[in-house]
Amino acid sequence: MGTHEQRKVGSLRELPTSIEPPRDLWPQIQARLAAEEAGAPELEPVARPRRVPLRYMALAAMVACLTVGVWIGRDLVPLRGGTSVPLSAANPHPSVPGEAGSAVDAAYVSDPRYQRQRAQLVANLQARLDAMPPAARDKVAASLATIEKAKQDLERALGKDPSNALLQELLINTYQDEMRALADVHEASDPGRGI
Amino acid sequence: MSYAQADDRRVDWEGALVQRAGAGDTRAFERLYREHAGRVYGLCLRITRDAQLAEDCTQETFINAWRALAQFQTRSSLATWLHRIAVNVSLGKRRKATPVEEADEDEEGPQGGWSLETPVEVAELEAAIDALPDGARDVLVLNALYGYSHGEAAQMLGIAEGTCKAQLHRARKLLRKRLNMELN
Repeated sequence: MGTHEQRKVGSLRELPTSIEPPRDLWPQIQARLAAEEAGAPELEPVARPRRVPLRYMALAAMVACLTVGVWIGRDLVPLRGGTSVPLSAANPHPSVPGEAGSAVDAAYVSDPRYQRQRAQLVANLQARLDAMPPAARDKVAASLATIEKAKQDLERALGKDPSNALLQELLINTYQDEMRALADVHEASDPGRGI
Repeated sequence: MSYAQADDRRVDWEGALVQRAGAGDTRAFERLYREHAGRVYGLCLRITRDAQLAEDCTQETFINAWRALAQFQTRSSLATWLHRIAVNVSLGKRRKATPVEEADEDEEGPQGGWSLETPVEVAELEAAIDALPDGARDVLVLNALYGYSHGEAAQMLGIAEGTCKAQLHRARKLLRKRLNMELN
């Protein structure tokens, strides 16, 4: 075992059961998982009984509907010139949960890849919205604003109940919904693609 | 917050991570790895007695766990599940590395705690455990260190419960001799 500890113990239970590996093994594990993923079929999510307050279920459903709204909005309305619209979701820095927030959402928000992708999408958002017809633009803006509000509400709720796993999951889903919505707007108003 | 409440929060937290990892989220899986790597590596190291082999076993354990996450029942303990995989992997790798004959005694050994009459230095105790024959050490590690029952340890090791008890008795006898003292 190679331990040279001088401490004395009076029972076997006092011996350490957790021994940190001498080096970080995660990079190699991750590389092997990535290699497997490239050739393996997608894993099925684990079914798990869930219990969450109805208002949050409603909130999640609303976010999902609005995300679909963004998608329909960019899909059905033809691209034209327009005026600028203030949009709360255009905030280049997503709100970061406070200390009481979960580590999972903090991990998502602080992930450099997520930050970079979101910043890129948000940077051009106003211009892309400007290029939309007013009706579509209003719809998309309202949807993004609602997603932003949902994020804030969920972060507030997590502040009160930080260990609620389903609230954490809903928040992560909301981040993902926002990214999908931003990506849809970006893709839809891509020059040459048309809407 | 009581220990039990803290444990509940950890379990809830783990459930969400397991669910996300099961859906293919490697970041969630990494958090599970960070949470459990120490105990898994510790177990692999005690079984294999080889740091390099223990690293391989730890990696293999988490890769096998990733493959099987969809089948994991969240109502059972993730730690126990990972330890079961770790024991399987470690035994397999140890057999390949140094094929040895496993003792297959089937005698009932005395039950009891593992407290020492006189405190012993950790290094000395670790060396004494390290010097035990594989079968006796495996049972001792799972039962006396990790707190698994004879039934659980026997299941993990693929041996009969009676054999598990006998191995523990043997481990106790050898440790007593090695440390030249009484184990209560």
